[in-house]
Amino acid sequence: MSDSVARLSLTKVDPAWAWSPFAASETAPWNRAAAAHLHRRAGFAASFAELDRTLKLAPVEAVDRLLAGGESSGEFNQQMDDMAASTTSNNQPESLAPSWLFRMVRTPFPLLEKLTLFWHGHFACGADKVTETRMMLDQNNLLRRGALGPFGQLTQDIARDAAMLVYLDSATNRKAHPNENFARELMELFCLGVGNYTERDVQELARCFTGWEVSRNMFRFNDQQHDFGSKTILGKSGVFDGGDAIKIVVKQPAAARFIAAKLVRFFVTDDPDVPDSLIEPLAVILRENDFVISHAVRRLLHSQLFFSPYAVGRKIRSPVELAVGLLRALDGGTNFQTLAAALRETNQSLFFPPSVKGWDGGRTWINSSTLVSRANLVRHVIRDAQSKFGGGTLAGWADRHQLQQPEKFVDALAELLLAAPLPSEVRAQLIALAAAPGDRNRQLGELLHAMSTLPEFQLN
Amino acid sequence: MSHSRRRFLANTLGASAVISLSAGIPRFLLQAAESNAATPAENILVVVQLTGGNDGLNTIVPYADDVYHHSRGTLAQTASQVLKIDDYLGFHPALIGFAKLLEDHQFAVVQGVGYPNPDRSHFSSMDIWQSAQRKPGKRPTGWIGRYLDEMQAAHKASDLPALHLGSENRPLALEARDVDAASIHSVDRFRLDRGEDSKFVAAVQQANRTTRAAGNELLGFAQQSMTSALASSQRISESLGKYKTDVKYPPTAFARKLSSVAQLIDASLKTRVYYVALDGFDTHSGQATNHAGLLGQLSGAVQAFIEDIKQHGHQQRVVVVTFSEFGRRVKENASRGTDHGAAAPMMLAGASLKAGIVGKHPSLTDLDDGDIKHHTDFRQVYATLLEDWLGWKSATVLGDTFEKLPLFKTS
Repeated sequence: MSDSVARLSLTKVDPAWAWSPFAASETAPWNRAAAAHLHRRAGFAASFAELDRTLKLAPVEAVDRLLAGGESSGEFNQQMDDMAASTTSNNQPESLAPSWLFRMVRTPFPLLEKLTLFWHGHFACGADKVTETRMMLDQNNLLRRGALGPFGQLTQDIARDAAMLVYLDSATNRKAHPNENFARELMELFCLGVGNYTERDVQELARCFTGWEVSRNMFRFNDQQHDFGSKTILGKSGVFDGGDAIKIVVKQPAAARFIAAKLVRFFVTDDPDVPDSLIEPLAVILRENDFVISHAVRRLLHSQLFFSPYAVGRKIRSPVELAVGLLRALDGGTNFQTLAAALRETNQSLFFPPSVKGWDGGRTWINSSTLVSRANLVRHVIRDAQSKFGGGTLAGWADRHQLQQPEKFVDALAELLLAAPLPSEVRAQLIALAAAPGDRNRQLGELLHAMSTLPEFQLN
Repeated sequence: MSHSRRRFLANTLGASAVISLSAGIPRFLLQAAESNAATPAENILVVVQLTGGNDGLNTIVPYADDVYHHSRGTLAQTASQVLKIDDYLGFHPALIGFAKLLEDHQFAVVQGVGYPNPDRSHFSSMDIWQSAQRKPGKRPTGWIGRYLDEMQAAHKASDLPALHLGSENRPLALEARDVDAASIHSVDRFRLDRGEDSKFVAAVQQANRTTRAAGNELLGFAQQSMTSALASSQRISESLGKYKTDVKYPPTAFARKLSSVAQLIDASLKTRVYYVALDGFDTHSGQATNHAGLLGQLSGAVQAFIEDIKQHGHQQRVVVVTFSEFGRRVKENASRGTDHGAAAPMMLAGASLKAGIVGKHPSLTDLDDGDIKHHTDFRQVYATLLEDWLGWKSATVLGDTFEKLPLFKTS
């Protein structure tokens, strides 16, 4: 990357170029760095074996493989569903995060988990208010089932999801006094964004959802409490119920734009100034394909923009990406209970998003506390007695990959995990840390810990 | 470089920093080194954010108003329940601590605070309160952040000029163009593992300070943040001595935060603004129990905090102010809760306040779409806090001139 890209501004980018299929070139080659970037964004960082496999494919094949998942995905997901269900018996919502993290680390279908995480932040519900572990797990499974499919259906399903009904008080929405909580967030946070509806729309929409209740942990329609009168929503009038209302909202032109913009922010760049002109082509793809999410994801991952300097290294690594990526890259496993606890300290507690807005992401992942906690998390993973890398110690992992010398170890970690190049001076400083005689496993751990404090490590 | 500055940096960053002074050192540390260490203790503002939209009407209760009782079928507090302030207003019964503070002339309420054309979205309205910018569009900085930037530009910013304590993200209110306000979960956990190994810390600090190629602003942001984080963590662990207090704080996470603030104030950090939040005020359903619990937590913790700083002799220079993104609708909903509203009272605590009620209770009949209308702009409160408490001109921070309120004894 030369100085000519010093201040990259997306406002000057030609949308036609941005979303045209990725064509490898001298400036943007299809190489290990590009493949590692694809895996970090579409999933949670690749191991060497995954990188090798990906590089045997053309970029478009690699993207399609990520979208389809590995061959054993179906079987794996079934096993994981059973395992997760078994953790709900004592009704402790805290037990959900460890099994989800395990799933993210081991899954042959990382893109599916990445999108499930996206929807968890989008249709954010917190176990602190929902309190029923089973409901939170059902919602997680619902998001996974619908992650790549049509957004309209996903929204219909989530509106009838018990955890959501409880979280946004729909469960007590009665015709005499409608409760506006769900109606407002449906438009503000889930489908349209501020400025695309009025206060009157909120009030009318709330009437459509009256009588939507929870009974025995399931959605139930209570016609006694439903307002069967005529409503006017977003310029349309009729005797609408909740299902009709969602259809009207999702059909708004703003909806596809809103979701497309959020996908770009999640997969491509943290840049807050993505112009509408760059979002619109993706919104068009969604509108022309029944709002099926995989169409937009495929286009944005296999695009010129995605592999360009506008995208590479232009996102702050989320805590989950940091933790899961570290383990996937190093074929690792650890004590997932303590990992989930460490993630709380870094401000990403799965199943406990900070509010219905989910995680803001981008620069907000980083503050004095979370930076210290991120480095502490990495140190914890390195030191935990249950942590294994390729089934053994960190030094064993390094040996298997012929990375005995510290410089090779540093370069390998940089290739797998860093989205920005290490300055040679910093590389030398890291290598010096492992130069003194001593226990090699300890030294490599120290080196990785030091690396986790660097600004490069905070990017994805 | 002056001797004191060199010594400060040596103390703060470890010996290696003196050798390799470079651009990587956060500006606030350089400025702290330049500023005179002997300046007298200055006033401190503690901002308490009530997240979710606090029901002002059931906080400072117009118990003698019939409309209030008609509107609040199950939630209304009666004359015999409230802690009376006068023959019209009373504290919610859970606000025992606040009632006690008012009795001791250390409490003030500003009535009817809001802004024109109120926004009922939590997030938009919170952004408006925190940025103090009413106009739609980008709100990159907060009102406190701009104050910090101006102080820094005038070389008046100390090290750690503002500190956010809590597990939520650093609030927009503290976002600044130049100053990186610290945001930490808790003082005890704000430590790098291996932080006791000075060789490791020095190596990590050096690797972080090493110049990076220009071109990626995010990388620069991460570098500056990590450099300040390492320095602040060291500074805070060094500052915390053996703090003792007889005050019994309630056993809540919120009270622990205020107790840490008291500790940091006593540790003579020069932090001017502390920022903490209490979440849960979005009481759309089943409000009575939840709201009472929250108000109890709030007032118990603030009362203990005021007592604590008094015992340590800082009571004259500390003021607590609360705010929320909006109040709630006058009429109760069917879920025994209340929906998003508009104007609400702000509450302040501290020995330097002119105690009592500022402004009249807004009308419960002259409403804006079912919500209370404001008569006092929140930026008037900010202007007063900036000028009469923090001693800083408010016009450029707030982007306009706002009429101040009689909040402090000296004003």
